[in-house]
Amino acid sequence: MSDSEPVIILKEVDKFFGDFQALSKINLIVNKGERIVVCGPSGSGKSTMIRCINRLEQHNAGQIIVGGHELTDQVKDIDAVRREVGMVFQSFNLFPHLTIIDNLMLAPRLVRKTPKPEAREKAMSMLERVRIPEQAEKYPSQLSGGQQQRVAIARALCMNPEIMLFDEPTSALDPEMINEVLDVMTDLAKEGMTMICVTHEMGFARSVADAVVFMDEGEIVERNKPEEFFNNPQHERTKLFLSQILAH
Amino acid sequence: MEALTGWWDEFFWGSVVVVEVFFVALILMVLFGLLGAAAKLSDNKLAQKIASGYTIVFRGTPEILVLLLFYFGSAIALTSIAQIFDPEIKYVDIPPFWAGSFAIALIVGSYATETFRGAFQGVDPGQVEAARALGLSNFKTFIYIKTPAMWRLALPPFGNHMLSLIKDTALISVIGLEETVFIAEQATGTTGEPFTMFFLVGLIYLLFSTIITLSVMVLEKYSNKHLEVSN
Amino acid sequence: MGESVDLIIESIPQILMGLGLTLELLFLSGILGLMLAITVLLMRISGNPLLTWPAMIYIYIFRGTPILIQIFIIYYGLSQFEWIRESILWTLLREPFGCGILALTLNTGAYVSEILRGGVLGVDRGLLEAGSALGLSKRHRFIYITTPIAVRLAIPAYSNDVISLMKSTALVSTITLLDMMGYARIVYAETYAPYEVFTSLMVIYLIITWIIQRAFGLFEKRMSRHIRK
Repeated sequence: MSDSEPVIILKEVDKFFGDFQALSKINLIVNKGERIVVCGPSGSGKSTMIRCINRLEQHNAGQIIVGGHELTDQVKDIDAVRREVGMVFQSFNLFPHLTIIDNLMLAPRLVRKTPKPEAREKAMSMLERVRIPEQAEKYPSQLSGGQQQRVAIARALCMNPEIMLFDEPTSALDPEMINEVLDVMTDLAKEGMTMICVTHEMGFARSVADAVVFMDEGEIVERNKPEEFFNNPQHERTKLFLSQILAH
Repeated sequence: MEALTGWWDEFFWGSVVVVEVFFVALILMVLFGLLGAAAKLSDNKLAQKIASGYTIVFRGTPEILVLLLFYFGSAIALTSIAQIFDPEIKYVDIPPFWAGSFAIALIVGSYATETFRGAFQGVDPGQVEAARALGLSNFKTFIYIKTPAMWRLALPPFGNHMLSLIKDTALISVIGLEETVFIAEQATGTTGEPFTMFFLVGLIYLLFSTIITLSVMVLEKYSNKHLEVSN
Repeated sequence: MGESVDLIIESIPQILMGLGLTLELLFLSGILGLMLAITVLLMRISGNPLLTWPAMIYIYIFRGTPILIQIFIIYYGLSQFEWIRESILWTLLREPFGCGILALTLNTGAYVSEILRGGVLGVDRGLLEAGSALGLSKRHRFIYITTPIAVRLAIPAYSNDVISLMKSTALVSTITLLDMMGYARIVYAETYAPYEVFTSLMVIYLIITWIIQRAFGLFEKRMSRHIRK
């Protein structure tokens, strides 16, 4: 059960890339402990939306409030938000020149000034949580895609975020490795992590999500509980999308 | 500044010489580069070795030394050959214009060899396969598919080769070519203002290199037109 | 022909008397040039127009003009000005060695700063985004993510520039310095056998080039341990 305490609030958010409107009047509230899956066709703005939440993209209008902090131009506000939010990328983005364990320890040591032994302990426990502690001294290039993504999740977790954002975490993986990553994400969800996940993995949505959000052309079209969403889509565009991805 | 009066003409003609050398060397450079690349990409082990030797020697030797070697070496070679025909001949040499153009074309050509080789290898093999599958002959594929693709990859480094070429022309003054540096040295002798003279030469070269850089930018834009993403 | 080969071999000891100076020029300009290049790079990517513009102009001038001209302007040209002759700079600029170092340093500095910038631009944006998302500051990202990766990316181009620098040292022979090229010209003047003398000089330069390339090859290998294909 989730507390109904909003941890992410997006109010009337717009985002432009030049003349192109990527986000249009986005209104979204995510409560503590909620698991939201965001889906939609390419170019619908799903990635842009979550990237605005941790300021990888800058929104042009409206308000974004994360964990009580409003996201503004001020560095201290941005830093405050990023401390609460962890992110996992489609292309993993592990630092190639550092070992796995160093990848995990870098941010805690630099940002939170955690002493080395403590950082190492935390890193190893996170690696155990994602089930690959034996890879600690290897380099990212020596790991498979699925392993790298799990390391990426562990790396984000080492900063003790309150919220986790996933930007198509399995889209770059070979099919046989998708499940190992989804399993880790499911574990996280069971432990009560607030998460927003942009993904095409509808099975994951059905089993884990509290709500599914459908976006199209920069707008949030529909939001519903998974059961309702898949069995009883309200809007034409949602129906069209579902028919396209669930056809095979 | 008044020191320059009377010298403008000379500098102008000196600049013309620079431009002439540049274009002659450019054609030769492309030729050497393509030949070298072809040799390196061929199955002939000997050709590969020769091309390797070519790139190693000309990339590892100071340009001024290549110029001097070439100038004197060709004179010696030509004199020997000429003496076979007419023992009376004491000395045959190549005019500095040609010796210099050839030498700098060989130098920059050794870099161009690598550029063209890399560019040819960088052409998407899928495109070539598709062309052959559609029935285009080897030759037609080469002209219409491979070469344009190769140029697009080679253009940025090729721009740098052109810049090297124009700057290397200044060295030919060392073997007596009457271009801008040579004129500047003469002018310094009579006016006693070396800074003014060499500064002007610097500006002339800066102008040339700017023109080359802008031209390359325009060419790059043109050759990449089909890749521009539309909204 | 046998005479030629003898001559080629005999010129070598004399040419090698200039080796010390050649290497001195190479190392001194190389290191000073690298320091200058790093400074100029930081100015160039700082985002502050007061810093980027001077950096870009410096790079433009020194990459757009022949190094021979740069050497001549510094050695012959600057002596034209009385205020230079009367300043402390004159102790440096009066000697061909100082002029040579200055010209070579300024020249290589411009090229290397662009090479380093190429390395910086080559760092995958995604890695920097990951660093941002983890809360790393701009400074931290530059030091711990950008720099190690950019350096590794820049090594091939940088090694080429070091070789270019070595080749440029030969030009100081035109301002009376006795490096290897300078000595070669003396031997040529004595023996009137340019072909042989210059050939041995060429062989020596090729050996030095080969050494530099091997050294950088090993360095690159070491920096790339983390990459497996």
